[in-house]
Amino acid sequence: MTEATQIDGARVNRLRAGLKRRYARERRFRAYGLLAIAVAVGFLLLLLGRIVEQGHTAFYTHTMTAPVYMDPARVDRAYPQGTNFEQLVAEQQLRRLGVVDDAQGTKASAMRGLFSSELKFVAAELITRQPGLVGQTVTLSAPLSDDADLYLKGEISKDTPAEQRRLSDEQIAWLDRMDAGGQIAAHFNTGLFTKGDSTEPELAGVLGAVIGSALMLLVTALIAIPLGVGAAVYLEEFAPRNRLTDLIEVNINNLAAVPSIIYGLLGLALFINWMHLPRASPLVGGLVLALMALPTIIIATRSSLKAVPPSIREAALAMGASKTQTVFQHTLPLAMPGVMTGAIISMAHALGETAPLLLIGMVSFVPGLPHSLVEPTGALPSLVYIWENASERAFHERTAAAILVLLAFMIVMNAAAIVLRRRFERRW
Amino acid sequence: MKFKLFRAPEGRNGGPADPTDVPRMGGQVLPAADAAPQPERNAAETSLTPAPRPSAGAGGPVGATKICARDVSVFYGDKQALFDVSLDIPDKTVTALIGPSGCGKSTFLRTMNRMNDTIPGARVTGRIEIDGEDINAKSVDPVLLRARVGMVFQKPNPFPKSIYENVAYGPRIHGLATSKGELDDIVQASLKRAGLWEEVADRLHSPGTGLSGGQQQRLVIARAIAVEPEVILMDEPCSALDPIATARIEELIDELRERYCIVIVTHSMAQAARVSQRTAFFHLGRLVETGDTEEIFTNPRERRTLDYITGRFG
Repeated sequence: MTEATQIDGARVNRLRAGLKRRYARERRFRAYGLLAIAVAVGFLLLLLGRIVEQGHTAFYTHTMTAPVYMDPARVDRAYPQGTNFEQLVAEQQLRRLGVVDDAQGTKASAMRGLFSSELKFVAAELITRQPGLVGQTVTLSAPLSDDADLYLKGEISKDTPAEQRRLSDEQIAWLDRMDAGGQIAAHFNTGLFTKGDSTEPELAGVLGAVIGSALMLLVTALIAIPLGVGAAVYLEEFAPRNRLTDLIEVNINNLAAVPSIIYGLLGLALFINWMHLPRASPLVGGLVLALMALPTIIIATRSSLKAVPPSIREAALAMGASKTQTVFQHTLPLAMPGVMTGAIISMAHALGETAPLLLIGMVSFVPGLPHSLVEPTGALPSLVYIWENASERAFHERTAAAILVLLAFMIVMNAAAIVLRRRFERRW
Repeated sequence: MKFKLFRAPEGRNGGPADPTDVPRMGGQVLPAADAAPQPERNAAETSLTPAPRPSAGAGGPVGATKICARDVSVFYGDKQALFDVSLDIPDKTVTALIGPSGCGKSTFLRTMNRMNDTIPGARVTGRIEIDGEDINAKSVDPVLLRARVGMVFQKPNPFPKSIYENVAYGPRIHGLATSKGELDDIVQASLKRAGLWEEVADRLHSPGTGLSGGQQQRLVIARAIAVEPEVILMDEPCSALDPIATARIEELIDELRERYCIVIVTHSMAQAARVSQRTAFFHLGRLVETGDTEEIFTNPRERRTLDYITGRFG
């Protein structure tokens, strides 16, 4: 009896020791998991923080509002576009600040450097619309130049030696006085979202690129999703299993791993050089991205078709449904959440893809907004690339802003994927 | 046990079935299966090599022969799963296919609505006739065949749609109803016949997957009978159900017997005894013995049948 309990006690002790070890292992594993998540989240926050920190200033901008006397001697009523409004405004601003210009007009020229070239168009448009304003004093509102804007945002410092900054001490003093006089106001940079690209940072916006990207994705979605889903359904549900289909399957998997720049080369050779489609157009961009998205969509669709329980297929077949009815009435609808998710994720990838766009000419400077599928346009990722390479400092903050817009676009797409998934998801 | 223990000695010894059985053999039994195998079987058994060639249709069929299988073999790739099965299945009768796992009974069941066609690499040889028509003939469309031969699976597999849609699916794809009202009638009649109407009448449009396991299985049966099949194949229809749900399904099978030819694969000897009038025992891909259920359970002719039904293996 006592012997038995002793043996039992030893057994329990051994079990207990082992248990301690097992729990310790579990705790260690949890700690690793937490650590991995913390590192990942940390990097993500670092990335986002850096972009937001760099880009948030691009979301507001400074405008100068000043009374301008539309001197009838200088303003051509018949052809207001020909008037040098910048000089006119600069001279009047100098007078208001009590600065006497020299014979060469260097002060007026320096003052002009504080205004955006937009000033001219704002004034000319006003006079074109209301010619009666000539001879009167009007209040004009126009953006400041990128450098003046940067100074007011605190990104150009007075403490930097004068020869190392793009604004002279004089210009800075004028800006300070105009600011103190209430002529300068900061406001939300709507132009960033309503304008196309421009060589002037203060006039550059992302809308052209957003539309370009959206048009491209439209082409991609219209081509890649039906083709990809169709190919996947055929391969998974109808195709015989033989050496040919095995070969096709292996190659689809390989294609998913081909570097995207290769697709760019293919697109250049196929769509532009051979089919003579207009280069840098959303049509060509969308076709190239469709080629790239196809393998991913096929793989995602096939795996979600595979995941549909065979019992549903059997049920439909045993009811006398034909193969096609089984696939389109039962299997595919059940696979739809997975298909949707795969398609949207590959679309999001396509949205962010830059390398193939470089090769089909989408990296060129395209001002204004696109209107059709066949004219040259920009795209968001190539805009980021162009702006990052621009020499003007003001483009740096806008690069970060464009990245934020791109990320927002992707978040919207991924959110759409989740919503669609929820909608299509059915229990079985 | 409710079985009467009659004719035990002859059967145990592997002797020929009672000669009085012969005239009762359903009339339509092919002569080759009827006349030839009997002496052959005797020879085989006396030489101690168990190569059973049971005479098809021995016993007391309730209806006329509905399905007639001759030398049916099934291959999955290189592997042969079924060896020369010849069996007559009478109409308006429940025929149970019993046997240990992997004995080929489900495979045989699936040859009768050509579900094996859907398995890549599966090949069926031999001849299966339903009402005298070869179902493997080129002119027979498996889709149409499956409208005549319904099937109920082991695990209830309602479509992830509403109860109504589940039952209406078959009539819809086969174009059996010309109007919404007609379809409604079919759905109601099928659910009633499957004994499910009372429970679901007020929630026809809620998902079929929300029902209990037993209700789902009855829904699947309703779905199968909605197309007015002639034959219903059931592949272990109760193995995923609790005893109460099982009892309901068994009752239902008994009711359905009046209208359909039912073939049921079951692992439960008790179930076979309860619901079937005819039983076929399969072992290692071969049909070992077939006959009236009472006779198989009380007076099997084959040693292996006895061993199996008394639980000595399987």
